[in-house]
Amino acid sequence: MAELTQNEKRLLTTLEKEKKADAPHLASLLGATPEAVVQWAHLAQDKGFATVERITSKEFVYTDEGKAYAKNGLPETQLLRIILPGTQLADLQKHDVFKIGFGQLRKKGLIKFEGTTVAKIPETSTDADEAALKNPSAADARTKEFIKRGILQECETVRNVIGITPEGLALAKKGLDLREETGTLTREQILSGAWKTANLRRYDVTKLPKKAYPGKIHPYQRIIAEMREILLEMGFEELYGGIVQQCYWNFDALFQPQDHPAREMQDTFYLKETLPLPKGYEKVKAMHESGGETSSTGWGGVWKEEKAEQCVLRTHTTSVSIQHLANNPNPPVKAFCIGRVYRRETIDTTHLAEFEQLEGVVMDEGVTFGNLLGILREFYNRMGFLGVRFKPSYYPYTEPSLDAEVYIEGIGWMEMGGAGVFREEVTAPLGINYPVLAWGLGVSRIAMLRLGLKDLRYLHRSDVAFLRETPSLRYTKGGV
Amino acid sequence: MAIITLPYKYLERLTRTDKKTILDKVALIGSDVERVEEDHADVEFFPDRPDLFSPEGVARAMRGYLGIETGLPTYPVKPSGISFTIDPKLANIRPVLGSAVIRGVTFDDESIQSIMSLQESLHWAVGRGRSKVAIGIHDLDTVKPPFHYIASPRSRKFVPLDYTEEMTMDEILEKHPKGRDYAKIVKDFPFFPLIFDRDDHVLSFPPIINGERTRVTIDTKNILLDTTGTDKRAVSVAVNIICTAMAEAGAKIESVEIGGMQTPTLAPAERTVSVAECSRLLGIDLTAATMASLLQKMRFGAKAAGADKVKVQVPCYRADIMHDWDLFEDVAIAYGYDRIQDLPPETSTVGKPHPVQITAALAREAFCGLGYLEVMPFTLTNEDVLYGKMQREEKKGVLHVMHPISIENTVVRTDLLPLLLEFLTLNRHRELPQRLFTVGDVVDSCHTHQQAAGVSMHPDVDFSEAYASADAVLHELSIDYTVKESIDPAFIEGRRGDILVAGKTVGVFGEIHPAVLNAFELEHNVAAFEFDLRAVPGYPAL
Repeated sequence: MAELTQNEKRLLTTLEKEKKADAPHLASLLGATPEAVVQWAHLAQDKGFATVERITSKEFVYTDEGKAYAKNGLPETQLLRIILPGTQLADLQKHDVFKIGFGQLRKKGLIKFEGTTVAKIPETSTDADEAALKNPSAADARTKEFIKRGILQECETVRNVIGITPEGLALAKKGLDLREETGTLTREQILSGAWKTANLRRYDVTKLPKKAYPGKIHPYQRIIAEMREILLEMGFEELYGGIVQQCYWNFDALFQPQDHPAREMQDTFYLKETLPLPKGYEKVKAMHESGGETSSTGWGGVWKEEKAEQCVLRTHTTSVSIQHLANNPNPPVKAFCIGRVYRRETIDTTHLAEFEQLEGVVMDEGVTFGNLLGILREFYNRMGFLGVRFKPSYYPYTEPSLDAEVYIEGIGWMEMGGAGVFREEVTAPLGINYPVLAWGLGVSRIAMLRLGLKDLRYLHRSDVAFLRETPSLRYTKGGV
Repeated sequence: MAIITLPYKYLERLTRTDKKTILDKVALIGSDVERVEEDHADVEFFPDRPDLFSPEGVARAMRGYLGIETGLPTYPVKPSGISFTIDPKLANIRPVLGSAVIRGVTFDDESIQSIMSLQESLHWAVGRGRSKVAIGIHDLDTVKPPFHYIASPRSRKFVPLDYTEEMTMDEILEKHPKGRDYAKIVKDFPFFPLIFDRDDHVLSFPPIINGERTRVTIDTKNILLDTTGTDKRAVSVAVNIICTAMAEAGAKIESVEIGGMQTPTLAPAERTVSVAECSRLLGIDLTAATMASLLQKMRFGAKAAGADKVKVQVPCYRADIMHDWDLFEDVAIAYGYDRIQDLPPETSTVGKPHPVQITAALAREAFCGLGYLEVMPFTLTNEDVLYGKMQREEKKGVLHVMHPISIENTVVRTDLLPLLLEFLTLNRHRELPQRLFTVGDVVDSCHTHQQAAGVSMHPDVDFSEAYASADAVLHELSIDYTVKESIDPAFIEGRRGDILVAGKTVGVFGEIHPAVLNAFELEHNVAAFEFDLRAVPGYPAL
């Protein structure tokens, strides 16, 4: 049973005697306003203890003008009274209600002119109109006419008749605690011991609270943090690098030929800034042109320094991991990087010009393509994707290359990321003498699935309501 | 990406098996099946395998993968007796020419469409939009050898394909649709490449357009191929791919004499590879004999040569085999990725978070504790948001992208605060108070570092909230700072402070200037602060 407030209890106690009464009457008994009493009655009604009957009625009241007419007669009646045989129009015109009265007399056809003399039409009178004015009624057409003339006004009055239900009566008979209630406990009440006798107000726990919104990290950040933790647990070192990279590290060191379509202006954000090439770039140049000292043929043609010096917004975080490997050529290296990358794409619901990429590398003596598959399976399993499979693919800087697909309930197999072993053309010029296993994945694709987003832009131009409503813990099953 | 149409009937005839078997397995040689239709499938192949850009090429590979026909496909080549001369003046224009004669073709509308689409895919994948390689296909019986490839005056006239009137080469660049599309490749040269026959009939104006005279129709029986370009290897690969695809379809290939050499030979290249190296890379145990048979399945000629060596013949159409590992990938594909044991490496290392990310995570924690909600705005923005609306001067270190996609995305952010104000604009209709923060990368010229910023918007916001919040976050990050009055025009004068560490300004806080609120169309006061995370003790120098 829902709790009664102090006021509802007082109302029921009063109703126990009164049974049924108008709000103003109860209000005077309870020392409150009728509006407050009606509100308490409604609350008690919701709980099944009281009844509130709303009775509306229409009433006609006289306007100030109407009050005068009710006393003195309608203007037309007043004029009629002074029309005697031989009365001149000029005589009537002296009367203060002449204008209204005369108009009405003519409209109702009660007078006629004989020259300049005004005469009553026999057998007519305003008696019926006067009677109607005394007793206005909605059924009477005359009443409507009086409203139009501004003599009467129609008013709606509402009466709230409050009663008690048998349940309410039973409750009141049992006796209700009418002591004054305490809302907020005060410091004084706690210290003085007054709390012992205080009647603490009971609150309705079935009512929803006013919303409070905690400060929290972005749901997308939470997914990034989850991936980061998995990789740290798997023994990987985290990398961080600049979003502006030289073409040398973004493309050339990764054996992307200088005329490769991905390097064109329409796919990559170029900057006018340039940076000097690092020491040892000649080996990369030789690799592109002729395959250096490996079994490779290279791409042939002439490798141009100025193309490598130009800066771009990094198109992948591989530009960061390759520099880490170049600076740390001794095994083992297990590293990852999660960061924003840029592609010159037309922005729509599934394509953004900037998005987060996760990239991992493992370099060690004796690591194999099979180990790469093992890392991927482990990573995706930990992300909650239990079905993982691999198929051949192509990336310019890895060989062999693969795509990883995960199984998602209700969707099927979905491509999640690419991977491969860095080509010798990539590692040899940088002095890396052991195989490098590398893989990457688009973080936003997983975020879109997990958060049920239809539009990727929503991750970056978010509705605050969405951020507030998305719980920190999202129970996931099968990765999504 | 190259999406190839595979008509089932033709594919089944060439592969000698049913379409279901083919479609079930085609992804396993490296492809994505895009659409499966009533009479054909559209399949995407990767750009390193232009030899798969035709039904003939796909059938050849699938016969091997399915074990129907393995080992090296051979293509006999007879000399045609036809020759080309090359003008030395082409050396700096478009020096490389490849050619071949293809006899006994039987065309219908579908197979003409198929060869045209192979040609287009090669233009894209190998030819770099015709600049590196361009291919012309001619009805050989409409012209007479010998043929001449010259650097021609630009005023030379002929009737280009799809036209009936003669035009000069300059006019073609100006008026012909293909001329307009590809003019940029040749327009700066004083002379233009041109191929014509004994009787001065023009075959083509490479890389722009063929002559109307040699148009290929369903009545064409014999083809002359012209392939011009700037790179010898790319030109030769394009010729080999077209010739072997046509040979798979039943045609006979004949060579042409260019500069005293018979070309093409369609002969395989040779490579001897190590079995141990391949086993080590893939993580599977192989013998020379198994490795050879796996390579044969991928249509290589392969023979064990001792315990550790396999002698491989690489078909002339395999443009992607640059290195031994390229062969090892084919071994892995033939073996089956699903059969390779997938165990994580035994490499023992310990996980190590990056100090920048540790700092960022702590900053986020401090903001969250104050009731701020994280947002993650884009890093690409524009000068109006960063500086105009903020009443600030453009920073020296701002980076302009050279070819922005839109006027909304012209620069990389140098500050975070303007993006948070933009966020408040975006969420004007949402319940107040709104307290938002972001932590992330900004650039200063070519250098990237992290900053943190917070905004609070509600009717009772005041300067002390800005100061207290900034102080709390700075304190949590152990930043020992002092404050002096700021002159940042984004804030109200007398209600703004600069955050200083060791005498250097590292941040700012205060009440946002009403003119800035107006510019962002905000209706309530905003308390805001931003600081550079490089001020955090221990932030690494990068």
